[in-house]
Amino acid sequence: MPGIYVSQKLPNGIKLHFLPTNKFKTISIGIFIHQELSSELAALSALLPSVLEKGCRLYPDYLTLQRKLENLYGADLSTDIIKSGERHTLAFTLETAHDRYLGENSNLLGEGLAILSAVLTDPLLENDAFSEKYVKQEKNQLIKDIKALLNDKATYATERCLSEMCAGERFGVFRLGKIEDYGKINPAGLYQYYKQLIARNPVDIYVVGDLDEQAVLDTVEGYFNFSRAENEADLPGAELKGVRSEQLSLEEQMAVNQAKLVLGYRTATGFKDELHCALLVYSGILGGFPHSKLFMKVREEAGLAYYIHSRLERHKGLMLISAGINHEDHEQARAIIELQLSDMAAGKISDTELENTKRGLINQLLSRQDSPSQLISFHLDGRIGGYNYSFEQLIEGIEKVSLTEIKAVAERIKLDTSFLLRPAEGGERSDG
Amino acid sequence: MAELFKLIENKILQEKLYHFRVDPGMDLYVLPRPGYRKKYAIFSTRFGSTDNKFRIEPEQDFTDLPDGVAHFLEHKLFEDERGNVFDRFAALGASANAYTSFNQTTYLFSCTERFTENFKVLLDFVQEPYFTEQTVQKEQGIIGQEIKMYDDHPHWRVFFNLLESLYQAHPVRNDIAGTVESISRITPELLYLCYNTFYHPSNMAVFVVGDLNPQQVYSLTAENLAAKNYGPLGAIVRSFPAEPSEVLKRRVEQQLVVSEPLIFIGYKDIAVEHLKGRELMRREILMELVLDILFGTSEKLYNDLYRDDLIDENFGADYTAESNYGYVMIGGETKDPDRLCERIMGAIEIMNKEGINEEQFERHRRKILGGYIRRFNSLEFIANNFLAYRFRETDLFELPSILQEIKLEEVLALAAENLAPQRHAVSLILPAGEN
Repeated sequence: MPGIYVSQKLPNGIKLHFLPTNKFKTISIGIFIHQELSSELAALSALLPSVLEKGCRLYPDYLTLQRKLENLYGADLSTDIIKSGERHTLAFTLETAHDRYLGENSNLLGEGLAILSAVLTDPLLENDAFSEKYVKQEKNQLIKDIKALLNDKATYATERCLSEMCAGERFGVFRLGKIEDYGKINPAGLYQYYKQLIARNPVDIYVVGDLDEQAVLDTVEGYFNFSRAENEADLPGAELKGVRSEQLSLEEQMAVNQAKLVLGYRTATGFKDELHCALLVYSGILGGFPHSKLFMKVREEAGLAYYIHSRLERHKGLMLISAGINHEDHEQARAIIELQLSDMAAGKISDTELENTKRGLINQLLSRQDSPSQLISFHLDGRIGGYNYSFEQLIEGIEKVSLTEIKAVAERIKLDTSFLLRPAEGGERSDG
Repeated sequence: MAELFKLIENKILQEKLYHFRVDPGMDLYVLPRPGYRKKYAIFSTRFGSTDNKFRIEPEQDFTDLPDGVAHFLEHKLFEDERGNVFDRFAALGASANAYTSFNQTTYLFSCTERFTENFKVLLDFVQEPYFTEQTVQKEQGIIGQEIKMYDDHPHWRVFFNLLESLYQAHPVRNDIAGTVESISRITPELLYLCYNTFYHPSNMAVFVVGDLNPQQVYSLTAENLAAKNYGPLGAIVRSFPAEPSEVLKRRVEQQLVVSEPLIFIGYKDIAVEHLKGRELMRREILMELVLDILFGTSEKLYNDLYRDDLIDENFGADYTAESNYGYVMIGGETKDPDRLCERIMGAIEIMNKEGINEEQFERHRRKILGGYIRRFNSLEFIANNFLAYRFRETDLFELPSILQEIKLEEVLALAAENLAPQRHAVSLILPAGEN
């Protein structure tokens, strides 16, 4: 049965989660280091994976590392920084083809783990500091990435809405931190931060593939037995806040063709809340699918939008509605959206809407079992949220959701902040 | 009932694919994938945005289409007298969608339960057109928003601006969705005309992948098509304008709200129209090697450009080869497009002079093979790509054997031929308000 992890703790406190399955053509490995999301640490945490990847003692430059990976049949190593609720997670993933398709005596699990271990635990150092060259270079790249948020207007509008809505909360911190934070980082300070992080912060290692359990344990333990602090850092969970006393309504003008409307709601329902599944169903009925109210009313009936949907930030209990519309239509679109929310609160939900949404959510859940990265992120989400739901539990929970529970969720949901990115008047560009 | 099928085996992937021929002349492919929860099916027609002038034998007169009809038709098939097709899939727990490319329109669903019923919905809705004045009009509003969304999208704009510069006449230079003006000329009659031409099963194919029994999928398909009583359809004759080998414009610029300039350098491939089947695919694999050896993350150029702050991690190059057009595109965001362009063209020149070595060739060959195997985790990748290759008379499963037989000298020869400076064009997106 896929979806069942064998989890164990290594002597140094690192958690290993192995999922044996023969249905994939790959071996997938993921290493995740957890940190709290905070404005002081965000840039440090975002910068670290890139600096580590660009050069380690064994592969002192990116070219050498990439050649090594190519010789392992194009193994794919990537690093990332994930913002999930008020958690900031450094991610190192490696995927290779499984040995059985390559017809030679290879040991791709061992080779893959060796590379990850080299990158993560054996960095390139100069006088008790990271390489100055790489720190400078990656700082510059991350600053470019922060500026590049502007390039995708839908993402830009979403992030602007969230940062204003959650200003003053940890969640309001952007995934890559702020540009000015990077000016304060130096190679020695970053190295100190790194040493503390890998010694004290929770680490999860995932392995998914057709492999022997003992071999996986032995190999992972062999490569990741560095010494760590007795006590792991205890990271705070996401804090759920109520809505502000007066709704915040923001607009920004830009030289664009299409307006983007983003509405930010607080659901007061967190990851472990007993109404968690009811919230999933609520957002699904409202705007999670092409059969949902928002898509049917705003797009199919009124023809106002090409995309319109609602999405949840499940750890922080936020719901965002996003749409791309003509600026002239934004009040009409807004009125239709608000009518859908009040219909939901009044329990105007057909049996078909309820049933179809449950089927759709369950289909999404089961489909995640067909992708190694989805299997990993599903479990990792539980690690971050402080509770590992099983697929069966969530499916059962979704099946059981009643109209009464959805109405209870609807009562909790309150609009906090709206953001409208609109075409600049007279076609001129003006910065908001 | 035992039906005739052709079994296509791939030893490297350890996959078995069942190929059926369904009356009246449709190809059906079934790839069993034991252990997968999801079942994924696509129903695809050889009708894309570039098929804008055609006739059916024995007629002699060609029909000219406004831009964006194939994509418009795709949207409209989701609505019929009974309402919205998404609802029918939703009631069966499936997730449905569709996409239109230059050469095909594809309808799809994935589900983890009630496959048979979902599969019937897919086959039925694609075979039941319903176009009225009113529904066509409403869709003009929705697609108008889709076009506006892409108008604000720097990567989409840099891509189409480049195609418009590379090509003088070929319809690949036109946006798949058309323009607000071109779609205003679409009528229900026009949609029916296109439907009755391109949606005949002999112009279509189905690919299904998942934990399934191939014979059962065949029976379902055969019964479904038989009930529709198709008559024969004359051969579809497409007409494409003669495309000169010269590019239209050397350089095109557009201003958008972006953080940094965005550059794509394109090379027009003028040899593809003489190639078919395996030869076309061989060219594609060779070009993939050329581009990876030139611009890949393991090579000196990429690392020098990154160090010199001329590129970021999204820099890349790729090649597209269809039966009557082909192009290379190289690029990404950069603070200094002119210097980046110079370095790229310089590197191509150096490769042509100095060649490549055996170690590089082998290493990149390994990388392509490994990447190919890894992608077979994804049911969507398999189905979508298999039919896309099939429609240009090539076979996705042949990649490993072609990769094995190609020679280093071929890679070099193709680089010299296909990255010729006289057939290049440059497309730039510049930050609005600056410059």
